[in-house]
Amino acid sequence: TPNLVAMRRGRGVGVGGAQRHAAAADRFKSKGGQLADQELAQVSAQVGAFRQHLEEFARKHADKIRRNQQFRAQFQQMCAAIGVDPLQSGKGFWSDMLGVGGFYFELGVKIIEVTMATSHKHGGLMDVSDLLKALNAGRGAGDPVSEDDIVRAVDKLRCLGNGFTLVTLGNRRLVQSVPGELSLDANSVMRLADGNGGRVTASACRTALAWAPERVDRVLDQLVREAFAWVDDGEPSGERAFWFPSLVPALLAA
Amino acid sequence: TTMSSGADFAWPAVFEFPPFFTLQPNAETRRKQLDQWCSLILAYCKHRQLHTLDINEALASSPLFHNKRINRRINRPFLDAILADLKLRGNLEWLDRDKKSCKIVWRTTEQWAALVYSYAKDRGLVNTVCTLYELTDGDDSADQPFHGLDKDVLLLALKHLEKNGQAAILMFDSHEGVKFL
Repeated sequence: TPNLVAMRRGRGVGVGGAQRHAAAADRFKSKGGQLADQELAQVSAQVGAFRQHLEEFARKHADKIRRNQQFRAQFQQMCAAIGVDPLQSGKGFWSDMLGVGGFYFELGVKIIEVTMATSHKHGGLMDVSDLLKALNAGRGAGDPVSEDDIVRAVDKLRCLGNGFTLVTLGNRRLVQSVPGELSLDANSVMRLADGNGGRVTASACRTALAWAPERVDRVLDQLVREAFAWVDDGEPSGERAFWFPSLVPALLAA
Repeated sequence: TTMSSGADFAWPAVFEFPPFFTLQPNAETRRKQLDQWCSLILAYCKHRQLHTLDINEALASSPLFHNKRINRRINRPFLDAILADLKLRGNLEWLDRDKKSCKIVWRTTEQWAALVYSYAKDRGLVNTVCTLYELTDGDDSADQPFHGLDKDVLLLALKHLEKNGQAAILMFDSHEGVKFL
């Protein structure tokens, strides 16, 4: 049986990976004459047979995997149980064969596209339900993605270090598409804003959260610095207000 | 040129966002904000076929800088920052040293210059003299985008051509003319 671990470890993403594969093949070939060639032929034959099995599986189930959220989730669990990860980042051997890794890879790319394209509206924090609507708006009637799909895809993106994470605000989930972490305090302030049309003031935070003024100022400062919040100095009271574009529905609807 | 009313202008959603009227302290946010203001001003001026902005008048009464519904207006320092940005992009030319009024050039001066010069070449006007009036109001140029163009904007475009050696601006009989080279 072919060495799945070696094959999997040999997965290279992109041009660098392809070049490494080519270089490895060359080294293997140049190692010695006929014996090496025979071994190579043997492995090729075995890979060929294995590939055929996988192709059949892909033909039978790939469509179901793409179209059925439940089947997809179950397939994930099955793969995890046998120690296989089909959710590879690149168009690898597994992802091409099963179309599953490809599915999440493509979903991840679309998530990046959608969040980047709308980043001027939500400032790098996009509600998962808004993201879901945007993603499914672009797909055919039979191919909707689920929130579970988004969570998995974002988790994959997070592992790649793309700066994507999932943030929980009460009972809302948001995809954070900028690097950096939302502190617990920042989270509390945003929850407060969420209940007030996307806006808070320092005095409102002090009252509602019962925090010392320095603590409130520090968090609001952080939120402005990380471009989550815009400031508004035009209130009649004269107090500066802080607004979160990602929590203002009117801004996202446009 | 027809003047469309400000009423059918499609105001962007951000115009209803109160912080839009406060110059943002965060550099990244401010960059987005200035981009949005520049786009808004150019789109509005293009929609209403406006070429000139009197700064004080605009600040006091233009619907561009005062959203009555949310009770927010921009102040002079903020406007200065926006106008500086427009100048950098080539979409604004000051008409006076005190910066009291300016031309909003929603096509850049270079773009107008290129359009005028290519027209001159196509129609065999090189080495002949035309009046500015002919260019903006003549029958021959009726189908051109610069037909009806504000005279000051046209002059800016011609001065640009002059700098590049493609035209020479002349005065004759108290009319301004241009010789394309």
